[in-house]
Amino acid sequence: MWLRRFSTDRIERRLSAQADAPRIVVATVEQAQRVCALNDAAARLRLKIGMPLADVRAMYPGIAVAEADAEADRNLLEAVADWCDRYTPLVALDALDGLVFDVTGCAHLFGGETELARDLVMRLARQGFHARAAVADTVGCAWAVARYGDFAASVIASSPLEGEGSRSSSTSRMGEGSQPVDSSLPLTHSNSLTRRRSPLPQGERARDAGAGFATSTFIVPPGKTESAILPLPLAALRVDADVAADLATMGLHQVGDLASRPRAPFAARFGKELLLRLDRALGRLDEPIAPRLPVPAAMAEQRFPDPIAREDDVLGAIERLARRLAAVLERRGEGGRLFQVALFRADGKVHRLELGTGAPLRDPVRVRKLFEERLAALGEACDPGFGYDTMRLSALVVERSDPAQTGLAAPDRAEELAHLIDRLGARFGLRRVNRLVPQDTHIPEFAVAAVPAHAVRCAMGASSPSSRSAGRGEESPEQDLLSPTRPIRLFERPEPIEAVAQVPDGPPVRFCWRRVTHRVVEAEGPERIAMEWWRDGRGNKMTRDYFCAEIEDGARVWLYREGLYGRETSNPRWYLHGLFA
Amino acid sequence: MGPAEPSPALNRLRQSLAGIDPSLAPHWPEHQRLIGFEPSIDIALSGGLACAALHELAPAAASHAGAASGFATALAARASGARGEALWVATDFAFAEGGGPYGPGLDLFGMPPARLLVLRVPRAADVLWAMEEALRCRALACVVAELPGGGAEADLTATRRLSLAAREGVAGLGLLLRHRATPAPSAAATRWTVAAAPGRPDRFGGLGRAAFDLSLRKNRRGPCGRWIVEWDHHERAFRPAVPVVVAETVLDRSDRAPFVRAG
Repeated sequence: MWLRRFSTDRIERRLSAQADAPRIVVATVEQAQRVCALNDAAARLRLKIGMPLADVRAMYPGIAVAEADAEADRNLLEAVADWCDRYTPLVALDALDGLVFDVTGCAHLFGGETELARDLVMRLARQGFHARAAVADTVGCAWAVARYGDFAASVIASSPLEGEGSRSSSTSRMGEGSQPVDSSLPLTHSNSLTRRRSPLPQGERARDAGAGFATSTFIVPPGKTESAILPLPLAALRVDADVAADLATMGLHQVGDLASRPRAPFAARFGKELLLRLDRALGRLDEPIAPRLPVPAAMAEQRFPDPIAREDDVLGAIERLARRLAAVLERRGEGGRLFQVALFRADGKVHRLELGTGAPLRDPVRVRKLFEERLAALGEACDPGFGYDTMRLSALVVERSDPAQTGLAAPDRAEELAHLIDRLGARFGLRRVNRLVPQDTHIPEFAVAAVPAHAVRCAMGASSPSSRSAGRGEESPEQDLLSPTRPIRLFERPEPIEAVAQVPDGPPVRFCWRRVTHRVVEAEGPERIAMEWWRDGRGNKMTRDYFCAEIEDGARVWLYREGLYGRETSNPRWYLHGLFA
Repeated sequence: MGPAEPSPALNRLRQSLAGIDPSLAPHWPEHQRLIGFEPSIDIALSGGLACAALHELAPAAASHAGAASGFATALAARASGARGEALWVATDFAFAEGGGPYGPGLDLFGMPPARLLVLRVPRAADVLWAMEEALRCRALACVVAELPGGGAEADLTATRRLSLAAREGVAGLGLLLRHRATPAPSAAATRWTVAAAPGRPDRFGGLGRAAFDLSLRKNRRGPCGRWIVEWDHHERAFRPAVPVVVAETVLDRSDRAPFVRAG
């Protein structure tokens, strides 16, 4: 799609300015500031996109000018796409100023395609957007019609597509340099709606319902794709401007001119892209749309005539949705691993809450409980404002989940623990609930890794303590009776200390840690740990000599001297790395 | 919340099943579980440290932080027995200040890290929330909550909530580990001050077992006292450190005080 008034809409929404004041947005193109977007009032002044700012200023010194902000445009378009998620989960961004929906099977929920398109345009208009929506069999056709279709004719004439007038008007617009400015319509931001194999009866038209908004929607009946698109200018095929200009010099102005000619010369001259576009627009080739959000494996949705805002109501609705979702998942023998609730606020903002679980889950009460934690953790960040008018619960990731027989002999703790981990994870983030998993290295700080607990659930059951104690029995018991050689608490980064040793290689006699001097009574060591030269980065560090030192009041600490005296350094430094019990 | 509490009939059935086949017995006794120390302490605690209750620990001085963590780990190891799970909750700050639990060290000390969950939370209030939630969960044998500083967040109200949660759970041992001893009142069943005691060298002349100098400062079910015990990390048991018991005279019996004040 192509940007026309989206930028000015964004600015006007922010300033709540009068839309009838001419306004342009400029960007630096080819070493000059040129107009890149303008509103209807500016369009009526015969300003064009691509004009240098200096010319515009010369003609209209008082015109409102703003710098282009592509990032803000993008963010706003994302927000609009988020909001449009209420119509169908398959929403894709299209270039800078358009959205593509796949409304197959969704239209009847809104009373048909016409009603859906009208509702969309009307709601967007209330938000200050000038939108045009077209529904067609293919993405290409909807795109073309939304931008280049003659909307006024679609309302006035009963069947404008067959009418000669409509076609000629499209052609004449082409003459304006592929930048049609339809000053009679408050249009800016176009939306294409794609229908695939719609079950609706033919001949449905945008009726006069909804007053002015009917002029912003256009329904191409199923099977009428060709007649809708053939009279449109070639730029409607989503080809580059210079390709369209080249074709125009050859005397080809409309899509029909191209479609009726032999294909091979065009493929040789312009490459495959042009014919690919043509085939896609005419439905001869399938065109996939890339939804911007992952398509959920299962979902349930609820609309409310009155927006709901109380947390209890929201959670109750989540539970009801989860109940419906559970029925779907149960039929498939699956459980959700990643759930998402989309809360559509009445004023257009969309909150999405996601949460993962450690095991496939479909119990609605548990789903509700998890989202309760999530909402509580978010607090003010999830402000209901004037309430939510639509809610959707989707299971983004599902896994096979077979019914399990619960044991009679002892209550099943594992499931309860899994749910506790999920709850804590929902509240604090799953990355914060960890298990300590041993790693294959002897560098103390890397010897154990904190792995999210839901990821190592399966490993937990396997390492039963009986096997461990059996393994201990085989070892020499003397080894086990010695005091532990590793501390129970380890500092993330070793704390520098000032230590005094009697001999350069020996254990410290005194050390000062956190501004307190401790006298070492007893020390064990050294345990020499060399860095692993075969791993990246670690080999450059110095060898460490670890000592377990008992200080005068009985506390034990784990110290090390960094660097071999005389060989690696002449002034080794001391660190305190951990605490023994 | 998890599934509903099983009915007494089901519990009776389970007990009779356990009588037929001992391997079907529950992981740990459901109620009234006590963690034994050595005899002299068990007398003061009337049998041992009660599970399904809240206990407070604090180091006697800043340098004894390791000993306090060690004592908490030892209790967790005893409470979780052969198959139970334990949870260690602390704020990010507490872990940065005192160091995080270190898997290999815990393993050598008697608490296998495979059965330990570690939860880091941003704020002290979250520690209390997570502890309460975990104590109500019947799958955990022990919950250790660590609060940096004096842990002012764990006041009388909060500890009472935690005590109730521990009682509602099946047999979870709740340990509240403060980084600094505080005189503030609390609803915990016992309050301990832990210091490291100089260990006895082992046969080879190296550092011996870890020894704790335990001061029981508050006890709802018996007298207070002071003991020195050693932790046998291999057998997971406490041993008297010296042959002669050096307990303080048992005079201050808070359970026999004429006016029992809350806290």
